[in-house]
Amino acid sequence: LLLLQRVLLLVASDVDALCACKILQALFQCDHVQYTLVPVAGWQELETAFLEHKDQFKYFVLINCGANVDLLEILQPEEDTLFFVCDSHRPINVVNVYNDTQIKLLVKQDDDLAVPAYDDIFRDEEDEEEDSENESDGSEPLEKRRRFEEEVIERTMKRRQRREWEARRREILFDYEQYEYHGTSSAMVMFDLAWIMSKDLNDMLWWAIVGLTDQWVQDKITQMKYVTDIGILQRHVSRHNHRNEDEENSLSIDCMRIAFEYDLRLALYQHWSLYESLCNSCYTSSSLKLWSVQGQKRLQEFLADMGLPLKQVKQKFNSMDMSLKENLREMIEESANKFGMKDLRVQTFSIHFGFKNKFSASDIVYATTSLMENIEKEGPETTNFIKALDSLSRGNLDKLHQGLDLAKKQLRAIQQTVASCICTNLVISQGPFLYCSLMEGTPDVKLFSKPVSLCLLSKYLLKSFVCSTKNKRCKLLPLVMAAPMDVEQGTVIMVGIPPETESSDKKNFFGRAFEKAAESTNSRTLHNHFEMSIIELKTEDRSKFLDALISLLS
Amino acid sequence: VRKHSEHVKMFKNKGKDETSLRRQRVEVSIELRKAKKDEQILKRRNIFIDLTEESPSLRKDRADEMIIQPSLEKIVEAVNGDDTQLQLLATQATRRILSRHKDPPINQIIKLGIIPKMVEFLGRADNAALQFEAAWALTNIASGTSEHTRAVVEAGAIPAFISLLSSPHMHISEQSVWALGNIAGDCPLYRDALIAHDVIPPLLALVSPTTPIGFLRNITWTLSNLCRNKNPCPPLDAVQKILPVLIFLLQHEDKDIISDSCWAVSYLTDSCNDRIQIVVETGILPRLVELMDSPDFIVMTPALRAVGNVVTGTDQQTQEAIDAGVLTVLPRLLRHTKPVIQKEAAWTLSNIAAGPSQQIQQIITCGLLPPLVELLDKGDFKAQKEAVWVVANFTTGGTVDQVLELIRSGVLKPLLNLLLAKDSKTIMIILDTISSLFLAAEKLGETEKLCLLVEELDGLEKIEDLQNHENDMVYRAALNIIEKYFSGEETTDLEPQTGQDGLYDFSVEKQDFNF
Repeated sequence: LLLLQRVLLLVASDVDALCACKILQALFQCDHVQYTLVPVAGWQELETAFLEHKDQFKYFVLINCGANVDLLEILQPEEDTLFFVCDSHRPINVVNVYNDTQIKLLVKQDDDLAVPAYDDIFRDEEDEEEDSENESDGSEPLEKRRRFEEEVIERTMKRRQRREWEARRREILFDYEQYEYHGTSSAMVMFDLAWIMSKDLNDMLWWAIVGLTDQWVQDKITQMKYVTDIGILQRHVSRHNHRNEDEENSLSIDCMRIAFEYDLRLALYQHWSLYESLCNSCYTSSSLKLWSVQGQKRLQEFLADMGLPLKQVKQKFNSMDMSLKENLREMIEESANKFGMKDLRVQTFSIHFGFKNKFSASDIVYATTSLMENIEKEGPETTNFIKALDSLSRGNLDKLHQGLDLAKKQLRAIQQTVASCICTNLVISQGPFLYCSLMEGTPDVKLFSKPVSLCLLSKYLLKSFVCSTKNKRCKLLPLVMAAPMDVEQGTVIMVGIPPETESSDKKNFFGRAFEKAAESTNSRTLHNHFEMSIIELKTEDRSKFLDALISLLS
Repeated sequence: VRKHSEHVKMFKNKGKDETSLRRQRVEVSIELRKAKKDEQILKRRNIFIDLTEESPSLRKDRADEMIIQPSLEKIVEAVNGDDTQLQLLATQATRRILSRHKDPPINQIIKLGIIPKMVEFLGRADNAALQFEAAWALTNIASGTSEHTRAVVEAGAIPAFISLLSSPHMHISEQSVWALGNIAGDCPLYRDALIAHDVIPPLLALVSPTTPIGFLRNITWTLSNLCRNKNPCPPLDAVQKILPVLIFLLQHEDKDIISDSCWAVSYLTDSCNDRIQIVVETGILPRLVELMDSPDFIVMTPALRAVGNVVTGTDQQTQEAIDAGVLTVLPRLLRHTKPVIQKEAAWTLSNIAAGPSQQIQQIITCGLLPPLVELLDKGDFKAQKEAVWVVANFTTGGTVDQVLELIRSGVLKPLLNLLLAKDSKTIMIILDTISSLFLAAEKLGETEKLCLLVEELDGLEKIEDLQNHENDMVYRAALNIIEKYFSGEETTDLEPQTGQDGLYDFSVEKQDFNF
């Protein structure tokens, strides 16, 4: 892939990017490629990192950033600079798509990119020359000349055609760029690369799984896409793990094994108590409406229906009676069906390290996210990133456990915030969308100044709101959520998410809408995040910005 | 995962096919609808269709093919019939087919055998529309290959068009000017046939201060074609009639008119010295030199060409150009950004440098040596070749002092650098020039000094390398210089060996190729 030259790795702050990064690092190590890793949380950091390193490096690998903007325009690189972009953000900027020399996109072949045809968006210069064909080339006059149809009319026709073409181009680009969504997980793309090179290892496969699971936990892809990709990974899993099956008992302590399973949509339950997990998982808490007294009652009924003693349920899962655990999944599922939770079962993978440690893919996602967005300062900016990255290595169980603890805190905080927002009617319909703003001073508000945590909160909140409201129209609305970002600077962080419907295509129009609204009101906004639908905004400008957004989307 | 280029290709083609298919279908249906509509229009008004009355949609050339296009057979039938109205429609249809932008089917139209009829229509003074349509159609036929032009001429179009020059309808006489231009541009034979048919007086009569610019451009172009081509060059009396009008047109403010007039003058001066003399005598040189300095590329180019042609003439003719100020304009042109201009300017200068030493002195006085050295150093290669000629001519014709001045201006370094060129002819000229320089140095007793200079500028190394050149002449010339001036301590033992067996055979083999 890249030989001899030192490579700069620019990696975005999301779990999928970390996983892709781990795979690429392993590949680099295997091929003795030297690289420097720089974490980038947003466009500003990406630009700064590029400027700082552009003199020493020719090869840049961008993971989960860079695909959806015109990189050459933004970074103004030298002509011999080469970018390899592995990014799940869609739509891919058309210039990146059609640049053959400096931008190399790593894209899965069967991803439907729906890129507009080249001729529809780019016009070759020669088409334009015709107007001035007779002018100033200084050569001898023609010996003979044909007289064409009225040239004035010709020219106006040509101009009109050009205008039409340009209007059509604008329309095509508008359609293409209108919605933000996500393609195949970068970790999966990277794993594919390793596989094609016959350098795929079981560790890499696990990272690919975690990358995909991150997309699912963050609600970035459709259910259909998730199931398809799980299928692809399952084939790799059986290829890599079949040999050990009959020797399971002889597994050594440092051996790892990946297994496909139908597990429960209960966050972290194997490292928590079943009760806590039920209370703090989005699916169960919103379905049972746990924020209300009624809901709490329903939870008790649900547990009773399963016939599980409360004492057992509230115990650490590890310490639960083995006899109870044996048929636990089936029992829970059966009762859940009765309580209207038909989709509690989900296809996923788990990993075993030796006998003792078992983690489900989503456990890792929650833990890594929490480490990455840890709000307790522990040294320089990159500490969290490095820690999160390290927790993905199997040798670092202590970091992983630390992450699991943080994740529990995070989930509790989300759960409590959702409950208080719903109970105090903080979610308001603005007409074209729902809106919720966290006040300064709300407990845990600092946690939600981080983009991934805020997004998770928004998804949980929207889901819960949809379950709680009786207003049918509101059930179909998207949500805009704001949280204090930096009190001293007087900024808020704002995110927009698509409506919560079963058939949702997970396409998000808020990125463009935010841009437009900011433009029309001269609001002081910062579009710094790789997700276009997350912005930072001056608190004072918030109301005029929202007004513009409302009228734009009405 | 695939590399993205392949990926994109897949998309590009995929997208293209789908959309273009779709677009086609839509377009066809629109055209059909339009076709129907226009048929109705034609049927309803079964009367004279004036050009100005046409609906704009009728004029769209893509629509043409579908709209009024009667089959070719219908056209033939109508043209040969007695219905004047149908004749007009058919002629108009023919003209439309011939004036669409891509691939006009000239051959097909010629094969229909309707050209004699079209020529006949030119004489229908009672039907201006028919005359005009026929003139336009024939113009476009004559704009094709020589064979196409011949078809028009042999149908008797020359006298018909010449008499239409005096048509009371300006658009008809303009169209005739255009047609005659196409005929004149084809070959000297037709050009002279037009002149023999007395095309010049009525053509010149069209030039007046009130002639519209577009019309005047057409006239100028046709006049330039009447001056164009050699073997033979146009008859003397014709040239003498045209020249005063050209001089008048050179004063015009429209740059297209000036450009074509300059081209005409450049054709006239691209000839023997007698013909150059006729042009010089008109006193046009100062104006041409002024136009050489024009900011418009389309004016500058032919003006430079014309003056360049003049200085290929006698010393006296060249002196007239110098007196008109050509040497004051040339430095700018030698430094022009466009290679073509650099080349033409250097070519012009080389011919002045071929003159007597007084003219060479004027080259020095007018400050042409610095731009010359620059051009030699950094110019476009074709221009560099011309600059080498300047130096060669200068060295041959200049006095010892003048040559010394040339060397002082720093010409040697870029000149020696050009010995690395791929072109043996240029290398030969440079080697000859170096020999002349040494002869001059010998006269002054400064051979040693020149040797040192050449060596310092890495010239010796390059000349030595040329002893391995595949071209025999180059090899000999280089060897000659080395032997004569640089063989101090070097043993000449090696030379006879290579000279005798290897290279001799070689030169016999290659001689034809090189010269």
